[in-house]
Amino acid sequence: MAIPRILSPTSASDDAYDDMRGLAASLREVRYRYAGAQDWALDGVSLDIRNGEYVCIVGANGSGKSTLGRLIAGLSAPDSGAITLDGHMVFDEAGAHADQYRRARHDIGAVFQNPEDQIVTTVTGDDVAFGPENLGMSRTRISEQVAYALDAVDMTGHLADDPTTMSGGQQQRIAIAGIIAMNPRMVVLDEPTAMLDQDARMGVLTILDALHRQGTTIVHITHHADEAYRGQRIITMSAGRVVSDSTPTAEPADADTDAYDRPSQDDFRHLLQASGMPVTWLRAGSSDEYAPSDPSPASSGVSVTAAAPATNGVPGTADSPDAEEASTARGPALAIDVDHVSFTPQGAAFPSVEQLTFSVRSGETVALMGANGAGKTSIVKLLSALARPDSGNITVAGIPVATDRRYTASVETPHGTGSAGLRADRHTHIDSWIGRLPGSAVKPLSRKQRIELRHRLGLVMQHPEQQLFAHTVAEDVAYGPRNLGLSEQDVVQRVDEALELLHISELRDRSPFGLSGGQQRLVAIAGVIACHPDVLLLDEPTASLDETASARIRDMLVDLHRRGVTVLLVTHNIDEARAVADRVVVLEPPKHAGQHVDARRSRGTRNVETDGISMASGISSTQQAASEPSQAADGAADPHVGTGSGRSVIALLDARVKAVAFLVLMFSAFAISSPYQLAVGAVLTAGIVAAARIRPSLLLARIHMFLFLFVFAGALNIFFVRTGTPLAHIGPVPITDDGVHTAIIYACRFALVIILGAVYVETTTPTAMTDAFESLLSPLKRCGIHVQEIALVLSLALRFLPTLRVEIMAVAHAQAARGGSIESGSPAQRCRAMCAIIMPVFAASLRHADNLSLALDARSYEEGIRRTHWHDMRLHFRDGVFCAACVVYLVALVLAAVLL
Amino acid sequence: MSIFSHTSIPARTIIKDGQSSGNATNTGTGDATVSPKDAHSTGVGDSGRWSTRRIAMYACFVALSMALSFVEFPLIPGVPWLKYDPSGIVALVAGFAYGPAAALIVSILGFVPHLFISPWGTLMAWLVAVGLSVPAALIYRRMHTRSGAVLGLVVGALVALVLAIVGNLIITPMYAHMTVSQVAALIVPALLPFNLAKYAINCVVTFLIYKPVSDLLNRSAR
Repeated sequence: MAIPRILSPTSASDDAYDDMRGLAASLREVRYRYAGAQDWALDGVSLDIRNGEYVCIVGANGSGKSTLGRLIAGLSAPDSGAITLDGHMVFDEAGAHADQYRRARHDIGAVFQNPEDQIVTTVTGDDVAFGPENLGMSRTRISEQVAYALDAVDMTGHLADDPTTMSGGQQQRIAIAGIIAMNPRMVVLDEPTAMLDQDARMGVLTILDALHRQGTTIVHITHHADEAYRGQRIITMSAGRVVSDSTPTAEPADADTDAYDRPSQDDFRHLLQASGMPVTWLRAGSSDEYAPSDPSPASSGVSVTAAAPATNGVPGTADSPDAEEASTARGPALAIDVDHVSFTPQGAAFPSVEQLTFSVRSGETVALMGANGAGKTSIVKLLSALARPDSGNITVAGIPVATDRRYTASVETPHGTGSAGLRADRHTHIDSWIGRLPGSAVKPLSRKQRIELRHRLGLVMQHPEQQLFAHTVAEDVAYGPRNLGLSEQDVVQRVDEALELLHISELRDRSPFGLSGGQQRLVAIAGVIACHPDVLLLDEPTASLDETASARIRDMLVDLHRRGVTVLLVTHNIDEARAVADRVVVLEPPKHAGQHVDARRSRGTRNVETDGISMASGISSTQQAASEPSQAADGAADPHVGTGSGRSVIALLDARVKAVAFLVLMFSAFAISSPYQLAVGAVLTAGIVAAARIRPSLLLARIHMFLFLFVFAGALNIFFVRTGTPLAHIGPVPITDDGVHTAIIYACRFALVIILGAVYVETTTPTAMTDAFESLLSPLKRCGIHVQEIALVLSLALRFLPTLRVEIMAVAHAQAARGGSIESGSPAQRCRAMCAIIMPVFAASLRHADNLSLALDARSYEEGIRRTHWHDMRLHFRDGVFCAACVVYLVALVLAAVLL
Repeated sequence: MSIFSHTSIPARTIIKDGQSSGNATNTGTGDATVSPKDAHSTGVGDSGRWSTRRIAMYACFVALSMALSFVEFPLIPGVPWLKYDPSGIVALVAGFAYGPAAALIVSILGFVPHLFISPWGTLMAWLVAVGLSVPAALIYRRMHTRSGAVLGLVVGALVALVLAIVGNLIITPMYAHMTVSQVAALIVPALLPFNLAKYAINCVVTFLIYKPVSDLLNRSAR
C-alpha cells in the first residue's frame, strides 16, 4: 500500500545530495559515540539504501548495527557526518534538523527486538491505531488502516484481544501492524525475531517479504545468517565500520542447521543422539519411555520413568530400578525426586507439566532440555516451591516440597522438620499469592521446611541479573549469606569464594549496574552460589551471553560438580549439556502443547505469577473481558463494535459520562444511612449489573477479595455504636440493636460501592478510560497542564502495570530464594529486604522506559502534536437515559432521607 | 501552576555535602562533536520537557507505583486495617529525579486503579502521597544536597502525617460509624505509630536507593 507521493528534496546545500530521488537513506562518514564510551560505536559509516530495497545488516554484538539502525530510522542523531532520510537532509555539519527529522520519520517505521515493550495499550485495535492517531488521520481512515494492517500480519481476528497476554510472535506481528498502519515507505527492524521461536520467526519473515513485494524499503538487522540471505543485499558491520556490502548469491547450504540457536525438534533429537550422552525422553503419562540412545540405564545412572498409574510409578535408583515402592525415592541418594507431577499454570487451559516422573541423584549434574512450552521453567518453579503442582509428590534435598494427599498413605515424611501437613502460612508468605487454589489436594511445605529449602536449594532464574540491587558487587553477593545469619567474617569469606569461583574478584567494589550484561549475570549467579546450596537449579543461565561469560558459568558448574553439588541445568544448548552434564533429560511437550508452544511467555510464565493479585486490581479483568468478544468480532475494523469490552448498554456508554456517573454513584453511596436508601441503592445497582450483562458469578469472583472488608467494617460498627437497646455484651462492650443495624447498613453500602466499581472496570477498556480522562481534564490545558501527555502516561502505565507486577513477583521470588523477607525480621532486615526488591524493579522499569520511548518515537508521538482519536466520543440517547436514571436515583436518595 | 512550566532538567544525583556536582553526572563526554544540550537528539520527540523518554519514564514509574500499591501488608500487629504499601517510595524517587510535578503525577495516577475500589480511600491516599512527595521534591530542588534530601523527607513526612490524621478524622466516619472524637481517640494508639512507621520505611528506602536509581536514570539508552 505504498502511496506514491512527491519527494521533496530539501534545500540541498551539498552537491553530493542534489538528487535524493530513489534513495531511502543516505549516510556519509557518520560517527556515533555513546556518552562516556571510549570507542566509536559507528566510525565513519557511509552507505546508500535505495527505495524498495531489502537490506540486511549483520554483525557481532557491539558491532554498531543497532546504532546504525536507529540512525537510519531517524530515531537518533549521530555525532558527526551527514544523513539524508527519504529525501530529507536531517543531519549535516549544522547538526540535527528537527523539522526534517519530523517529516522523514513520518515515513519511516521501526520495529525493535523486544515485542512487549512496543505495545502501548491493552486492546490490539487501539494499539495499532496509536500511530495513525499521532499522524492525525481521520477516524474512518484510521479504521481502514487498522483493518489493513491487521490483515497484513494475519491478526484480523484479534482486533479486540489484549496484546500484552499474547505470545511473543503475535506481539511482534502486532508491533509490525502498528507500523504498517502508518503507511511507512521504509521499515527498519532491529532483530525483530531474536526473542521468537522458529514458527513465530517464519511468520514475521513472511510478513517482511510481503511488505517488500509491495514496494516498502526493508532494513532488517539480524544475527541469523539464514535471515540475512532473504534480503537483496547484506551489509556486514564490525567495530563500527561497514566491512562488506554484498549481494547474496545463494543461500548457504548449511544455513538450516548452523544458523539456529534453537534447532527444530527433529534436528534436536538427531544432534542429541549424536552427542553420545545418556538421554532420557520424558513424555507425559507414558510408561517406560527410555531413550534409544541410552543402552544401559543402570550403569549410566538414569533413573527415570514415566509410568501412568500413580502409585506404581517407580523412580527407582540406578542400582535397584524396580526394587521398592515410590517411597524409596526419598532415599539419601536422590537429591530431586519428582513423582507423577502435573501442573497447570493459573489461567492456562492446559497443564504445562503432565504426570511427570523423574529424579536426580545426589551429586549428579543433569541437563533438562526440551522445546519451548515443554514445561522446563514450570519444573524449576515447582522444585523451588514457587508454584504448587495440581497433583504428585516433589522432594528436594530430602524436603517434601509438595505432598499429594491422595498418594501419601504409604509415604512417610522421614524428616524431623515436622509433618508436611503443617499449615501453609498462606497469609504471611509472598509465595502464597501464587499458591494453588485452596482445593488442591497437594500439601505445600511448612514455613519451617520452606526456610530449610531456601538454605539448601539455590535458584538461578532466567535473567538473574535483573535481581541485582546493591551499591557494590560484594554487597550484592553478601545478601544471601547475611540472610542465612552467618557472622560477618563468614559472609566475607563466602563472598570472596563465590567471586573467585566465577573469576570476577576484580569486580568486587564496582556497582553492579555499571557492568556489562555478561558480568551482571556472573555476579547474580555468585550471589546464589555464596549461599552454598546443596542442590542448584539454573534456568538457561547462559542464554544470550557471550562466549567468555558462558564459559565461566560452565567452568563453575564443573567445579561445583566436583564439590558434590547436585545441579539441574535447564538449557537449549547441546554443547553446553555435553560440557557439564552427566546426562540429559528431555521433556516432551504435554499433549496440548501445540497450543502453547508459541505462547510460552504469556501462558507459561505470566499466569503462574499474576493471578493471585490481579484479582485485587481489577484492571486485568478488563483485558480478559476485552478478549471475549474477539470470536464475535468478524474482523470489521469498526471501533464501535470491536473494541468495546462487550456490547451491553453500559459498555456502550460514552466514556466520560460513564466515568463521572459511576464516581458520583460510588461517592454518594456513602450517604446511605437508612434501609430505604439502601433499598434504592440496591435497586439501582442491580439494574446496572443487569444492563451491563455481567454474570453474577464473574462479579463475585472479582469482588470476593473485598468480602472480608465488609465483615470487618460491620464488626467495627457493632463495637462502636453504644446507643439503642443492648442485645448482648462482649466483655465490657455492649452490643446494641442500633449497632447491628448500623453494621448491616455500612457493610451493604460498601458492597454497593465495590459492585459498582467492579462493573465499571469490567465494562471499560483502559483506552476508553484514558480518553475520558483526557477529555474531562482538557479545560486544564489553559492552565498550562499537559493533559494529553498525562493521559498518555496513564494509558501507558495501565498497560505496563501487569508487566511490572510479574517482574516484581519474579524479583521477590529471587530474593526470597536468597532468604530475604519483607514480612519478618528486624526493621533493618526488612528495609534491606525491601531495597533488594525495589531497586531491581526500578531498574526493570527504566529498561522498559528506554524501549518504550523508542517505540513512541517510532510511532511518531510528540509532545503537543495534534492527535486524533479513533474512538468517537459523542453523546448518544442512551447516555442521556443513563444520566437521567442517575439523577432520579440521587433524588430518591434525598427523598428517602427527608421523608422516611 | 508554575510547577508544570519549569525547564528541562536531567535526572539528578544526590551530591554529598560539600562535593562539587562535576563528577556526579558523568554523562558528558566533553567531546567537541557532542552537542552540549543533549547528545544524539534528533530534536523531534526526544528532547524538551515532555520528551517521549520522559513520558515513558513517568509511565513506568506510575505503573510501578500502581503495582506496588497492591502489595499491602499490615505494619503494626493488632491493627490489620492500616496497611502499608511501598508505592510512596516511587513518588519520592520520581520527585527527586524529575521534580515536584513528577511527584504529583506519580502520586495521583498511581492510585487511579483504586478509585473504583475505594473512592474515599483513594482521595485519602492521594492527599497523603502528595503531602509526602511534593514537599520533599520541592525542598530537594532548592537544596540539592544529601542534607537537603533528608530535610525534604522529614518535612514531607510531617506534612503527610498531619494530612493523614486530618483525613482520617474526616474519612473514617464514612467507612465506620464513628464520631470524629472516636477517631481522634485512635490517633495516639494507632494512627500516629502506623503513619510514622510508614513514612520511616518510605524515607529510609528512598534514601538508600535514590543514588543507584539516579545513576541508572542518567545512563540514558541513547
